[in-house]
Amino acid sequence: MSSQPSPLWTHTPSSVRMTGTWRSASPDYRTLPSPCLGACPVDGRIAVWVRQVKEKDYRGAWLTLADNNPFPAIAGRICHHPCESACNRQYLDETVGICSLERFVGDMALAEGWAFDKPDTERSESVAVIGGGPAGLSAAYQLRRRGYQVSLYESKDQLGGLLRYGIPAYRLEKAILDGEIQRILDLGVDVHLNAEVGDADALKALHDKHDAVYLATGASRSKALPGLDYSQPWVMDSADFLAATNAGEECTLGKRIVVIGGGSAAMDVARTARRLGREVTVLSLEPEDQLPAQRVEVDEAMEEDVTFVTGAMMQSAGANGDGLVLNCIKVNFQAGEKRGVFTIDPIDGSEFTLSADAVIPSIGQDADITRWQGVVADDGPVVGTGSDWQTATPGVFAGGDLASMDRFVTQAIGMGKQAAVEIARYIGSGEDRDTFPELTIVPYKAISSDYYPDVARHVPANTDVAGRLENFNEVQQRLEHTDALAEAERCFSCGTCIFCDNCYLYCPDMAITKLENGYEVKSDYCKGCGLCVAECPTGSVMMYEEG
Amino acid sequence: MEMIDYQDDGLFNSGHVACGGCVEALSLRVILNTVGKDAVAVVPPSCTAVICGGYPMSSVNIPVFHTTLESGAASASGVKRALMAKGKHDTTVLCIAGDGGTYDIGLQALSSAAERNEDILYICFDNEGYMNTGGQKSSSTPLNAATGSTPGGKDTRKKNLIEILAAHRIPYIATASPSHVNDLAAKVEKAKGIRGMKVIIVLIPCLPGWGVADNAAVKTARMGVESGVFPLFEVEDGVTYTMNTDGKSRPVGDYLSLQKRYRHLTDDGVAAIQSEVDQDWQRLQQRVAVG
Amino acid sequence: MNIAPNIDKPGNSNRLLLSGNHAVSWGAKLARPDVAPVYPITPQTPILERIAEFKRDGELDGELLTPESEHSAMSACIAASLTGGRVFTATSSQGLLLMHELLHYAAGARAAIVMVNVNRTPASPWGFWPDQLDSLAQRDTGWVQLYSETPQESLDSVIQAFRVAESLRIPTMISHDAFYVSHAVEPVEVPSQSLVDGYLPPYEPELRLDTEKGQSFGAPIDQATWNRSRREMAEAMSQVQDKVTEAGQAWGDLTGRSYGPLEHYRTEDAETVIVTMGSMCGTVREAVDALRDQGEAVGLLKVRLFRPLPVADLRSALAGVPRVMVLDRNYSPGMGGILHQELTSALYGLDKAPAVHGLLAGVGGVNVPASKIKQLVADYRDAEPSATSQWVE
Repeated sequence: MSSQPSPLWTHTPSSVRMTGTWRSASPDYRTLPSPCLGACPVDGRIAVWVRQVKEKDYRGAWLTLADNNPFPAIAGRICHHPCESACNRQYLDETVGICSLERFVGDMALAEGWAFDKPDTERSESVAVIGGGPAGLSAAYQLRRRGYQVSLYESKDQLGGLLRYGIPAYRLEKAILDGEIQRILDLGVDVHLNAEVGDADALKALHDKHDAVYLATGASRSKALPGLDYSQPWVMDSADFLAATNAGEECTLGKRIVVIGGGSAAMDVARTARRLGREVTVLSLEPEDQLPAQRVEVDEAMEEDVTFVTGAMMQSAGANGDGLVLNCIKVNFQAGEKRGVFTIDPIDGSEFTLSADAVIPSIGQDADITRWQGVVADDGPVVGTGSDWQTATPGVFAGGDLASMDRFVTQAIGMGKQAAVEIARYIGSGEDRDTFPELTIVPYKAISSDYYPDVARHVPANTDVAGRLENFNEVQQRLEHTDALAEAERCFSCGTCIFCDNCYLYCPDMAITKLENGYEVKSDYCKGCGLCVAECPTGSVMMYEEG
Repeated sequence: MEMIDYQDDGLFNSGHVACGGCVEALSLRVILNTVGKDAVAVVPPSCTAVICGGYPMSSVNIPVFHTTLESGAASASGVKRALMAKGKHDTTVLCIAGDGGTYDIGLQALSSAAERNEDILYICFDNEGYMNTGGQKSSSTPLNAATGSTPGGKDTRKKNLIEILAAHRIPYIATASPSHVNDLAAKVEKAKGIRGMKVIIVLIPCLPGWGVADNAAVKTARMGVESGVFPLFEVEDGVTYTMNTDGKSRPVGDYLSLQKRYRHLTDDGVAAIQSEVDQDWQRLQQRVAVG
Repeated sequence: MNIAPNIDKPGNSNRLLLSGNHAVSWGAKLARPDVAPVYPITPQTPILERIAEFKRDGELDGELLTPESEHSAMSACIAASLTGGRVFTATSSQGLLLMHELLHYAAGARAAIVMVNVNRTPASPWGFWPDQLDSLAQRDTGWVQLYSETPQESLDSVIQAFRVAESLRIPTMISHDAFYVSHAVEPVEVPSQSLVDGYLPPYEPELRLDTEKGQSFGAPIDQATWNRSRREMAEAMSQVQDKVTEAGQAWGDLTGRSYGPLEHYRTEDAETVIVTMGSMCGTVREAVDALRDQGEAVGLLKVRLFRPLPVADLRSALAGVPRVMVLDRNYSPGMGGILHQELTSALYGLDKAPAVHGLLAGVGGVNVPASKIKQLVADYRDAEPSATSQWVE
């Protein structure tokens, strides 16, 4: 035995002990879809671009937005924002104001004159896009980015479709619309205005000339309200009313207007009529809490002294002295499973009358399909397509209101993008579909909400009610810069790692390695405690059973 | 969201035998990496002793002297004095002890070292009981908490060690929490720069001892801070009190409900704790106001 | 101040009138300790106070640490020693007993601490009298134990103890009796600093709390390693006797005062050898001289090194001696004198073993004059030895 003192002093680091054997579950980093992404009609990477706003990388945020939507300034104004309805933050305090942030970025892009990059390589294949509304423009944009040649055929003398002719200027300033359209055209689009593709032969000719065709002519035919004589001078269809007003034509309708319908278009009509100095009553089948228009539109209409008569229908209308009398009855309204499908049950004895000078029915619009018979087939009220948006004729694709009953502007923009991908695949680019297979949307409980102090949502100001009715200036204002940053800070970045290092720095076992762009679990040492998951502010690391 | 930004320089090794999810190990990681390599630690019997060691292995890359349970502060004094005699005045001497080795059996030596104003940085990992021996009460165990030796809940309140230490007028005393890592690191950094006796008491929710879920010790500590059960503050020279968080923002129930040691509590029991916390908070604010 | 002007010249020493405790303080100072954690207790207190004066006067570079208890004092000693410091402390009685836990700890940690214990009765009842039970009760803690007879020996032993302790890394305790040695004032040769520096090399242990190496001491171990730690202590203990001899002789070469584990005083052809420790040895010398003058063959075997017990030397020293009288100034209840037990155990199975009489003489500090010793020699000359110790006052 040695005469030296005992070597009872440590001489080995504990890292020779593999504590990873204790583990039954392991953390794993996965970029999971946020609820907003799951709800977004254009598959917008909202968690990503909001984070870019947080980091004051506004151009980066705009580029991320523009990957899926070339119209952030427009969508930021008029999108029905299902993202906000899905937002996890609502379970803490209030949902993040995604729309107002999108507008903030979109407006900055226009103000700064940011342009889209030209495609890396030009391709020889060409696509005819028929219809210059949101779906057509979105498809044209996505195809140009991929280098395809695009010829855009628009029946009217300006591009924009519903955006131009259906959305009043107090919701969407024309300069914004023009700016975002021009930015697409600057990518190099062969535009044909006043170019109606009116029949199957014309369509076939385009099909022959191009490698593919995209039909996106919208739903331009107003539905007719039974029992209403449209030939009367006191009846005016809502689309005609909005188009005329948007074109600056003088309104000849009388003082008291009844708008029939409860959707966004009805609100647009009602509020436009108010700006023209009319007294307006909205008559809707739906009770107030089920109006299909966005709540904010209803609220703003009420602020503007639009009268609502809800849960009722008009049974007949006739002259009464100088004006009209509308004979109405209260109804029980039952929404169906699909949008636009419902049952109504008039309530006996609840009859009442409304006095008016004019009626503007605003009960929806149908697509005009019959003109292309033989090339495309119908599927009920819309053009029939496969899940790849291809019609009965190979190489002919359709989208937007023409091919879907999901009649929101951003739905149309999303469909335009999806169609562009499918067209590229049809032509043979080998491009993959944008899918999110089998990934769970990050639930609120995956967010460590302790990292987020209660902060009220930053709501952009509206112009005051009295001032609004004087003109068609935009009602909703842009978020102030500091408010936009503060609002972006409210975002949980659900499912998107923000490289905050919490997982790395909270690990009691030094079992997380920091990589250049992310993290890795050291399986030799991770004991599977789940602290990294519990302290992740974004829900982008989850525990998974091993085995 | 506030980002955590302490720098890990590899002073604490993987492979230690702390329970998975243990925030004593986490706090050790933060403290060791903040103090740096020019340091010696003295550790009386405690979970930290187990975490550091297991001959022939060491989980820490600074020398550690494992001493007896009563002796933490005295042994640390001995290390410091020997270093001073050898001219190594700048080496940080840490004493890292549990609440048993601090509030109870080690209090005499701690008081003496404080009175002598020894230049040591004393860390108390306060898990409010003898958790390394399976969970018995210490004088740090709070009112109503159940332990192996107070199975019906403790009848008396937690000893106020801060006030005892403040009475010694040592340069620096602070409370800290693994839920507030930046604050913990900043306090260690600050203490490191002060000559004389420094004591930092770190709240350590014990997974088995308190009945906390494996992934919930940080959250429990956070609730402790936010409910005002364990306020974060500093006392300089025994008289100047400074709060480090904005007020208490939660009822104590948010903290208690995460722990099985309180599961026997009735509403009255919770109310009694709330009342104690409210009174202590008010008393603390008075001290802050005076300082 | 009793400091001679030429004290630092090599080979020089200075004769000072010192109590045993102050002689210890001088020895400690000359050893240049890095850290001295000391807690006061009667009758050790003058050791601490003199060291404090040295520190005040700038004559001691090391750190003087005055904690709240002997427990903390010893805790600091161990820690300072493992940090690589030379460490001295002193205590007595209750203080030593309070340290008990840490005496084991120090030995297990192989901390080369030198401690002086002033032997005093442990309470209860309270007393302040010379009795060696306090230190003898620590015999199983793993410390080297030396017992000193005089102030000069205490000074010399402190310096030698560092040489022993540090070379083998075993803590070493020197005990001297309360008042009989601690407070007895006599002329003491105080060696020069340079002499001591030449005798005692700096302490530079390889294993220490070193921030460059990062090695730790005291981490929990398994059974086999604990067992091994005791075997290694046994190995070190087995070298102590030679080291004590070497240190004592080397000291003698420099000062003319040699020491060993045992001292034989007029034991040649002795019919009776008195075996004892500490201040009792002085009284026994006087009795031996008187008895030899009367023609009686009596000698003294002084046990200076009690732990490790120099078993082989004791056996060879006492083989063939007809009678041994062990004088124990201590009492282990239920068994008797501790030196008596130890000696009979050491002599077990010895060929030509002496008859051993265990006598409890001076327990509790009761005075045992030379006349009493002479009387005992006469009383036990023809007595049958008993296995148990006898009360003799």
